Amino acid sequence: MLAVQLLVNGFVTGCALGVVAISFSLIYATTKIFHVAHAGIYTLAGYLAWTFVSHGVPDIAALLLAIALGALGGAAIQQFLYAPLERRKATHLVVLIASLGLLAVMQNIIAAVYSANILQFPVPWGSRMVAAGSIRLTWTQLLTAVLSLAAYAGTMWFAHRTILGKRIRAVASNPFLAEITRLQPQAVYIYVLAIASAIVCLPGVLVPLDLGLQPYGGITPLLTATIAMIAGGVGSISGAFALSVLIAELQNLSLLVIPGEWSIGITFFIFVIFMLFRPTGLFTKAR
Amino acid sequence: MNRLIRCAVAVLAICLTFGGVAQAETIRLGAILPLTGPGALIGTQQMRGIQFAIDQVNAKGGVNGNKIEVLFEDNQAKPDQSILSFNKLVDLQKVPMIFSAYSGPTLAMAPLATRKKVLLINAGAQADKLATASPYLINTLPTIGDEVSVISKYVVGEGKKRAAILFENDAAGIAGRDDYLKAFPAAGGTILAQEPTQFGQTDFRPALLKLADSKPDVMLVSITAGLQQMAQQYKQLGLKFMVAGTTFFQDPSVVADPAAQGFVHTQVRIDAPPALAAAFKQKYGVDMEFFVRQYYNATEIVVAVLDKLTAEKKPITGESMRDTLLAIRKFNGLIPLEFKSNTATVKLDINVMKDGKDVTIKQLSNE
Repeated sequence: MLAVQLLVNGFVTGCALGVVAISFSLIYATTKIFHVAHAGIYTLAGYLAWTFVSHGVPDIAALLLAIALGALGGAAIQQFLYAPLERRKATHLVVLIASLGLLAVMQNIIAAVYSANILQFPVPWGSRMVAAGSIRLTWTQLLTAVLSLAAYAGTMWFAHRTILGKRIRAVASNPFLAEITRLQPQAVYIYVLAIASAIVCLPGVLVPLDLGLQPYGGITPLLTATIAMIAGGVGSISGAFALSVLIAELQNLSLLVIPGEWSIGITFFIFVIFMLFRPTGLFTKAR
Repeated sequence: MNRLIRCAVAVLAICLTFGGVAQAETIRLGAILPLTGPGALIGTQQMRGIQFAIDQVNAKGGVNGNKIEVLFEDNQAKPDQSILSFNKLVDLQKVPMIFSAYSGPTLAMAPLATRKKVLLINAGAQADKLATASPYLINTLPTIGDEVSVISKYVVGEGKKRAAILFENDAAGIAGRDDYLKAFPAAGGTILAQEPTQFGQTDFRPALLKLADSKPDVMLVSITAGLQQMAQQYKQLGLKFMVAGTTFFQDPSVVADPAAQGFVHTQVRIDAPPALAAAFKQKYGVDMEFFVRQYYNATEIVVAVLDKLTAEKKPITGESMRDTLLAIRKFNGLIPLEFKSNTATVKLDINVMKDGKDVTIKQLSNE
């Protein structure tokens, strides 16, 4: 019973993490920006949805509004932070520091406005149970798994079947060639930040719906997602998603054999060893 | 003659002026609390508790005509910042006494308090080492070890002899875990399993599942954050064993949550009179929370000490304040307590969460 329940919990956590990883991967593969402030958008989405729900906005509308505002926030970050830095020939390190600074500002504003307390969504249905034999899940967990899988499928479809998706992949593949073939990389970067920010808002709302909101709660998922992206192969959407699920499963199932305090350390130690033998990641670029 | 009168008036005026200053002398105290950073929420409660008590004393004319002023320093709950603040308050402002909070910062300042003979009053931290850290450190709360001992005896007495421990993997959580490892077997129970969580982590499901697998009668908890989420996940997973903890359980959101129904814990007895709680709410717009009451109570103790010292016209130093505090020994303020050592002996209740309320089922003490 314990192993199966841990397996199911790991899958739910991994799916949510997978959506963070594919959205981060989309940004990094296209813009080459290590967009740490993505964790800020993830956190902000939860607080925005909480605010809407607390003011009587229906739950679905609150989620959609948070996604829309998250997309706008992402586009604004590209337009008003990253694009000016690129025009001034800022190095990757400078851009990373700017992103880190923005994340700190966002987290501090959220903490100042909402307090550093853990906030609960006033959504009673979220904690109702669905039981199948000995497996017990909340509606929020079930919804997280289903919508995350849908987000993964949707991102794959978008990247491979739409004109904008193909344009993004072209820019990611060769920005210089994209520039001279008038694919307008700068405009594409804004689209990418907006789309990836919209995608990350999904776990940004669903995970806190299950586990509560914290101003500094976005860092750990982003860090784990980044590792999943690298281990999965930078640019591979499937790789990032699959490795996220694998990491979450390893963290959960490792509890069967080792104490919890070793779980994170041993999981990532396995990945360090793995990266030594396959530094380009498990899934090679599959754009 | 006129000249003589003028001189006499001048001398009288000087005497009155200096006499007046002496009578209206402001007694300066210090407080080193986390006013920014992750501990800011609790630090702000602590600051308000002190300031609320001081404002009430000053509004009544101070202690024997002396107003009190508390100089607040922000340590962000960091030991190194606390040392800087301590030196600033003691060396520059010459304060004889400082309110402190959090185990790490208080333990860092304790050796300095001993060396500089400055009284430290801690009303928020509970690490066991605080009891012996300095003769100049007075703890108005029992240590976590005292509470763990009381709850362990109660739980075993209820026939729940097989326990699992859920603890936070930081200094406070590990100290609590270690106390359970000693106190629970000493009370006649057996520890079957233990699982850590990270501070601020709110996904307790893996740890709860693993602990449940050891089939305990009771889960002993030593976490300070995410209690409500832990309670909800405990309920969602359909777990049935008893859940027991310490004063950290006294979180209004946890008590109100139906998921925490049946949780038992020790509780330092605090009965804030309704009029006092209402006055606080009117001033700050929020309830008089746990740490507000703790620091209000600690300030009342300090005021009682200052009252005695000024009435007896004794110098106000860290040493005289400590000696007077230990000589008074019994205080019947917001929290009645007694100092048989430099850690207070207080009334401890065993509470159970029932229908959204924290109901006292047994009254004990940490003695």
